[in-house]
Amino acid sequence: MNSTTTAGAAERASSRIERHALIDRLFHWVTAVTVLVLLATAFLPVLGVQFAWVTPHWIAGLVLIAAILFHVVRAPLAQSLRAMWIGADDLRDLAAIARFNLRLASAPPPKPGKYSLAQKLIHLLFAVVLLTAAVTGALMMVRMDTPWWQRNPYWLADSTWGIVYVLHGLAALLLVTMIIAHVYFALRPEKLLFTRSMIRGWITREEYERHHDPERWRVRE
Amino acid sequence: MEILRVSRDVYGREVLEGISLDLFWVFFAAGIAFVCVHALYRWLLAPKR
Repeated sequence: MNSTTTAGAAERASSRIERHALIDRLFHWVTAVTVLVLLATAFLPVLGVQFAWVTPHWIAGLVLIAAILFHVVRAPLAQSLRAMWIGADDLRDLAAIARFNLRLASAPPPKPGKYSLAQKLIHLLFAVVLLTAAVTGALMMVRMDTPWWQRNPYWLADSTWGIVYVLHGLAALLLVTMIIAHVYFALRPEKLLFTRSMIRGWITREEYERHHDPERWRVRE
Repeated sequence: MEILRVSRDVYGREVLEGISLDLFWVFFAAGIAFVCVHALYRWLLAPKR
């Protein structure tokens, strides 16, 4: 192999493949900041740090609801739903991952498409929990004065409000556990390429070929 | 440690107030425990790829 061919191969391996468009990265980080503000304003007073938490909490909640609505509209229109859908291939992957980790098979599990089963599952879990928090949070805003309406605590029966508060609190508590796990995986050495792609948008072609099945995630040449 | 917060209305009936936010430390500890268990598994037990 001559030096020109070697240089060409190296250049091709280091060429960049877009994994997350700028608008999707902005959505991710806006969601991250608002969720952290929401958790801080929810739990710091419980932990003894007293401050006027209600106003920043509902403002951050409104930003989060707007971000979720944006994503719900954009994802089916501009992104591939199939990339995040959990299908039969993923269940086969799960069986292969289990066999490999239990040492029942020596062959490593097949490479995923754009997202691994674990990434799809955490996305699904965040979707369910964040939607629960957002819907119940929006309902709870009926009980407080805002620049747009006066509070109405009788909009729902007391027992129904109780369920709304339980679901909102449970979603917040689950987010604490989920964010710890999410940040842990984002910082693991073998996952740093995905973290970088959520910051800068790209992975290299060498990373693409090493971590993904080109048949399951087709990218433009 | 209570799981649900309840109070009583003017008629003496129990009213559900929400989940106990004292559970924060339980969920926080669950997250840390998950991280420790996974890290130890990957370090000591997981088959090398």
